[in-house]
Order: sequence, then structure tokens, then C-alpha cells
Amino acid sequence: MGSLASVLGVFDISLDKLSDGELWLAQFFRGLSDGATYASVALALVMIYKSTGFINFAQGSLALLGVYLVYVFSVEQGLPVAVAVVCAMVASAAVAMFIERVFIRPFPPDHVLPLVIVTLGLLLIIDSAVGIVWGFRTRSLPSMFPRGAPIEWGIAQLTWRTIGNLGTVVAVVALLYLLLSRTKVGLAFRAVSSNLESARLVGIRVGPTLGFGWALAAAIGTLGGALVVPDLLLEPSIMLRVLIFSLAAAALGGLDSMAGAVLGGLVVGLARNLLVTFLDLSELALATAVGVILVVLLVRPTGLFGSTRVERV
Amino acid sequence: MTAAMGVVAAGSRQHRRRQIIGWALFALVVALIPFLIADTYSPTIFGNRYTVGLGNLSQAIGLMVAILGLNIATGYSGQLSLGHSFFVGSGAYLTAVLVNDFHWSYLATLGVVVPGLFLFGVLFGIPALRIQGLYLGLLTFAVAAVFPSIIRLDEVADRTGGSNGLLIDSDLEAPTWAPLEKVTEWLHAIPGVGSRVPEGLTDRQEEAVYKYFLLVMVALVCFWLVRNILAGRVGRALVAIRDNPLGAAANGVNLPAYKTLSFGISAAVGGVAGTMLAMHSGFVGPDEFGFSMAILLIVGLIVGGSGTLHGAVVGGLAIQFVPHWSSQTQTLPGTDVALEGPYGTAILGGLLIVIIFALPGGASHGFRKIKSRLMPVAPQPPRG
Amino acid sequence: MSAEYLEVRGLKAAYGNIQVLHGIDFSVAEGQIAVILGANGAGKTTTLRALCAMVSTEGSIRLAGEELAGHRTADIVRRGVAHVPQGRGTFPDLSVEENLMAGAFVRSDTDVRDDVERWYETFPVLGERRKQAAGSLSGGEQQMLAIARALMLRPSLLLLDEPSLGLAPMITRSLFEQLTVINAEAGTTMLVVEQNASLALGVADKAYVLEAGEVALSGPADDLAADDNVRRAYLGY
Repeated sequence: MGSLASVLGVFDISLDKLSDGELWLAQFFRGLSDGATYASVALALVMIYKSTGFINFAQGSLALLGVYLVYVFSVEQGLPVAVAVVCAMVASAAVAMFIERVFIRPFPPDHVLPLVIVTLGLLLIIDSAVGIVWGFRTRSLPSMFPRGAPIEWGIAQLTWRTIGNLGTVVAVVALLYLLLSRTKVGLAFRAVSSNLESARLVGIRVGPTLGFGWALAAAIGTLGGALVVPDLLLEPSIMLRVLIFSLAAAALGGLDSMAGAVLGGLVVGLARNLLVTFLDLSELALATAVGVILVVLLVRPTGLFGSTRVERV
Repeated sequence: MTAAMGVVAAGSRQHRRRQIIGWALFALVVALIPFLIADTYSPTIFGNRYTVGLGNLSQAIGLMVAILGLNIATGYSGQLSLGHSFFVGSGAYLTAVLVNDFHWSYLATLGVVVPGLFLFGVLFGIPALRIQGLYLGLLTFAVAAVFPSIIRLDEVADRTGGSNGLLIDSDLEAPTWAPLEKVTEWLHAIPGVGSRVPEGLTDRQEEAVYKYFLLVMVALVCFWLVRNILAGRVGRALVAIRDNPLGAAANGVNLPAYKTLSFGISAAVGGVAGTMLAMHSGFVGPDEFGFSMAILLIVGLIVGGSGTLHGAVVGGLAIQFVPHWSSQTQTLPGTDVALEGPYGTAILGGLLIVIIFALPGGASHGFRKIKSRLMPVAPQPPRG
Repeated sequence: MSAEYLEVRGLKAAYGNIQVLHGIDFSVAEGQIAVILGANGAGKTTTLRALCAMVSTEGSIRLAGEELAGHRTADIVRRGVAHVPQGRGTFPDLSVEENLMAGAFVRSDTDVRDDVERWYETFPVLGERRKQAAGSLSGGEQQMLAIARALMLRPSLLLLDEPSLGLAPMITRSLFEQLTVINAEAGTTMLVVEQNASLALGVADKAYVLEAGEVALSGPADDLAADDNVRRAYLGY
């Protein structure tokens, strides 16, 4: 017992903390809430990866732009936050479609490396553009959900925000599922993701279909940003951390599995909050995400749910 | 083949003479520039006043070496590494700590930085063996983003300075034998051109000029070593791995060994670049070596020309001077737009995309095309 | 002689700098089956891909008198050209049923459901596996699915690239029987690239032999089957 205490001491863990059920529950809720936001951005990453075979490193930047648009519509134009979020989703979807048309479609879709590099260039351009337009001052963004908590156990609060974040992600997943499995454009998108050449041969217009995928991904990413930013402060570098956690979530779930992205997001969100609280690793939270990516890629490169596919690089 | 005017046979005396003249001119420019801009150079172009100091050039030299290192893992052996800044940052911090806490001289720290980062790169390269292509890009991207938070860890903050960074407590005074002052006087005495050169050097200018020459020396050694490594067996193996891994393996190239080795060399050169950047600025800060640097190095690699040595030079100049130029452009010609703040990064991002579109071989490939147009060289079959 | 339904003049095709087709002429009459024979690398697959604008081409491709050259793949499909590519013509991540639905992607009529059921009858194994992912089917089943997927378009011209590749001889024979039945029932014009020359010549009306990107021989299938050179080179007796 003494040796256990000394081991725990190294990690700054107090047994009091560990046996504090309310603290566990509180962090569990927070973890779910964070996880829901990572899940949204991870979903966006997976949508692009599934359909095009590359990782869109500019996904976080598109979400950043979207969140600033939420700010413009809600704080500056005075729209209700939920309406502002919808407007921003539509606007960022339009921007993403434009980007796909101008910067992505001219490249042959089977050469992945140039496309990845292009997304890095887009990342630089979008991040700088946000800095140019809105400056580097921090701002606070209102949440779509009311303050307060309907359910409380001591310090453990199930807040409206947590409920709202989780509910939003569940709704997004459900809608996305319906869209992809029940509509013609969804069928086209999945056909393009599955076999580009055959998709052409059944008459699917591949370019617009991928543009649709980009638009959808950007809208979902913007929604994820609108969920996460109210807990933080809005400034141009905010989405980088979110992007890293979301990449970890996507890798954990398997880069081409939407269900995996959601589950991965929740797991990363929970793990992050529990580690930060009980191991006092706040500076290492990001490193934990990198650790997750490394371990997943080493042990099970297809993630929890991903399918084995031939590496296209 | 028709004997066009000015076509020179490769390896002929004429060709060699032309090469020697080219290198001599290059050496002359490299040697004279510090004296010309020791006192900062401030041209006015299209109504904008620009200031270029020797420090900017020194910084660019450090970045060239950083890109050179990245070039080995990514350009030559084709492993997408988006986290090269991690190695550069590690080298910089290693140097800073050794100089500050152990009172080593800057150059002596290379004795630890090079083997240390080589080992580190190899250790990193081993898991990377199982992770390929995009997945490696994903992992290294995350690794790059995590460097600043590692530097800020409480456990190491008293050595690394945490968020505040670390001011390096050592000057690089020019040794008394260095004839910098004399050369300045000579150059100043040259009629015409001499008026650009200051009469004498202040202590700070002398230090800057000395640092510049040190950095040029280190950079030349790095380029020379890398060139020799790449020209030999290792280089051929790496290129074979990049272009056709299966074929390379079938021909007896030990893939794991060479891939790991390429990461080791890449990291070691990156570490040297870190040492150079620390030397140049006398300061290291956590966010300097974050993921923005990682992406800028990729920009430099692609813009200059991936897989070429010249590319690293062009790329280093580009990622140093494009933002520098834009931050000093008060009014863009024909408009009243000031390109301050983040415009430089946006322009680099645009440049990256344009190069991928228009010049997939990078700028140095473009230069070479123009050069071969102006000064054609006919390749000769090997003799014997 | 009936009016030519597909008429190709001076077709050239290249991958980058490598010219694969050097200007070939051929035609298929409406409702007929034509077969393209030739050694590996002769340009057979490229010919089919050229018809669907999957490679860069020059020359004239007329379908029922209308020029196809210059149109995009998606538009050519909308004119009723279905293509079963070599090997992997299915969507492995989609279920069998979704594959068939995707095959009818450009159709807007209400008979799609009926057609799906019809191909389940023709290929009962597909009906048994309708909810299964196409990637989990055997090679032969995937080939049937690819053909059924192409027929879901209700094509006026069906392009088949080595339908027998990787199939057991029994299955190949029944597949070709099915094709002749479909040809007879729906009047679908077919252009088949095939290694199994004797089988292909048996069902075809007309045959072309490609050599190094040019038409070396052409004529009624029966004549070619009787031609000594063809027999020796492609039929092996």
C-alpha cells in the first residue's frame, strides 16, 4: 500500500481525488461534452478521407472560419445563436465548395500527395485570412444552449451545454446516416468513395459529388467549432488543438469509419479530461493525443472500425 | 545534333571553366554581401521602403539547413514528414541549454546535437517504419503541434524557460585574428561600389558579420556532407525507395535500415539547423518551433524544389524573405493595401499551391530549365 | 447491311506521351454483338475506355449518328452506354442492392425496382446476398454483379471488358449464354473484349483483331473463326 501511494505520488495523484465519485462523474460529463465536439470535426475529416483518400489538413481552418462567421452573425448581426450557426454552416459549406472547385478538382484525384500539400497551403491561407479580417484579439462566443444544469450531484453537473453538445452530435450522425443511405446524392457520394472509376461509369458526376462532400464536411466542422468555442475564447489559433484531438479521434476510430469517428471523439474527450484531472497533465493533454495516434497507428493502423484499404500514397 | 551556338559538352574544359566561374561568382557574392548590408540595406521599391539586415540573411541560412534536413526524409526518400520543426526545435533547445547551463561554446554543442538528434531521429524512424504515407503525415503533424507544450512542461521549465523562452547568455564576438575590420576598410576604399560599405564596423555589426560567416561555414559543411551522402550508395537507395519501394526491396535494398537512417540523418541536419537558429538569434522560444514552422519548412521544400539541394537554398530564402517583404509593404503597388501581419503567411500558402499547380519540380527546377535554355550543356556518354 | 449503331473513325488514344491507339476504325450494327480480340497490350481495354472518355482521345465516335467524342463520361452514360470495366466493376463498400441502384443512377423512371428484381431472377445468387457488401462476394459473383449493375442502366450499348477474367469455365459459359439472351430479348448492342476467343467468336456477329493499336483483321465472326491465322494466334488449334 505504501509503495502504491509513492507511485501515485510521482504522478501527483492523491487517493482522495481518485475516490471522489463526484469528481469522476463531473469529468465524465465534461469529457463527453468535449468528445462530442471532437467527434464533429473528426466526422468532417473522415468524410473527406473516405471520399478522396486524403486528409484535409485545412479542415480545422474551415471550421475556424465557420466559427468566426457564427460570431459575425450572432454577436455583430444580432441573430439568435442557433440561427447564426445554421447561417455559418451554409456559408462555410459554400466556401468549401468553392475551394474544392478551384483548388482541389484540377488535380488528378489519384495522386494524393500534391492534394495533401494543397490542403496545407489552404490551411496557411485560411488561418491568415481570418487573422487579417478579424485580428488576433480574443472574443467570447455565446453558446447555442442555455447556462445552468438541470441535473446536479454535488460538483457533478450535467449541464445544458453537455446535453446540447451530445444531442447535437447524435442528431448530426442520424441526419448524416439518413442522407447517405436514403438519398440519391448520398448514394452517389458513397459510390464515389467506394470506387471512383465505376462511379464515373454509372454516370455519377464525380466532381460535384466531391464538392458536396466538402460542403457537408465543412458544415459539420463549423457546427463542431460552434459547440467547442463557447467553452474557450475565440482567437485565430483556437482550432489547432481541436484539430489535433480530432485527428486522434479519427485515427482511433479508423480514418474511414464515421461511427468510429464519433466513438473515437468521445473516447479522446473522456481520456483527455480524466488524464488532466487525475494525473495533472494539463500541458501533456496534447501529447496524450499524439500518443493515441502513435499507438493506434502502430498497433492497429485501421483503427477500431476502419476497413483495411490499400495505402494510396 | 546541330551544333547550336554556346552548347557546351558536359565535362569538357569549357564546361568546367563555366562551372568554376559560376561557383566563384557565388562565393564572391556570399563573401561580399555581409559587408554591403552590415549597416542594413534599405532600398525603396515602388514607394515602399524596405530594410534588410544581415540578421535576416543569417536566419534564412539556418532555414536552408532545416529544409535540407527535411529534404532527406521527404524529398529524397519520400516519407511525408510534417513534423520536422520538432527536430529543429530540439536542436535549438539543446544548444541553448548547453550554452547557458554548461557554458559550452555554440559550435561545441554540435558535438552533442548531431549524434543526439541522429539517435532521436532513428528512434523516431523505427515506429515510422510501420506507418506510411498519409498516416505518417498525420502522426508527424501532431508531433509538430506538441513540441511547444513539451517545452512548457513544469518538469523542464526551469531549464527551458517555459513559455518565456530562453535568452542565451553568450556572445559571439569575432576573434581578434578575423580581419573583418580590415576587409571593411579595403572594400570601402574601392571607388564607386565602396560607398555602399561602411567605413568601419561597430562591435555589433562585427559580431553580426562574424556570425554570418560562421553560419555560412556550418551550412556549407552540411550541404557538402549531405551532397556526398546522397551522391553515393545511400542516396541511390533512398531515391529507389521513394520511387519504387517494392523494386528497391527486390534489388536487395534494406528498406527498414535505409528509411530509419534517412530519418536519423534528417533529424541530425535538422538539429544543426536548430543550433544555427539559436546561434543567430541568441534566443529560443517554444512557439518558434511549433507547427507553423513545420508547415513553413514544407512550403520551403516544395517551393524550392523537393529532392534537390538548390531547392533548400531557394526555399530558405523564400520562407524568410516573403513574409519579411510583405510585412514591410505599406502600400501594394497600384492599391493602398498594406501587407502587414499575416499576409506573408497567406502569400506563402498561395505560393505553395501555385508551385504545385504550375511548377511541380519547384522553383529551382524552373531556374534550371531557364539556365539550360540560356547556357545549354550537351550530356556526354561516359567514356571507356 | 443494317445501319451501324456505333461507328468509330480514326480513334487515337494516349496515356500521357504513350500513344496506344493509332487511329482505328470499327463499327457495330444495332442489336449485334461485336468482339475485339488481340494480344495483351494491343489496346483492347483502351478502346473501350476511349469510348467512355476515360482516356484522352482523338477521332470520331458516333452513337446512333450522334458524336460522342468531346463529351464527358457522365454524359456518355446518359446516352445509354454502359461499361463493365476489367476486374473491379463493383462498389465493394456498398451492398449488392445498392450496387444495382447505383447502376440506375441516371434513370429517373419508376421501373428501377422491377429491374432490380429482374436481375435477382437472372442471377439468383445476387438476390440471396442483396444486403451483403459487394466486396464480400466471390470473384464470379462480383463479375455477375458488375454486369447486372451495368444492365441496370438499360443500356443501348454495353461494353464488356474481359467478362470471363478469373471465372471458372462453367460460369463463363453460362455468363455468355445470359449475354446472348439479353442481346436477343432487349436488343442491346454489345462490344466485348475477350481473351477467350473461341467462346467470344461463338456469340459474336462481327470481330476485330487489334495488333499494337491498329486493326489488323476484321470481318464476320464466323469468317474470322475459320481464318487460319486467327485460329493459330487466338484459338490455339
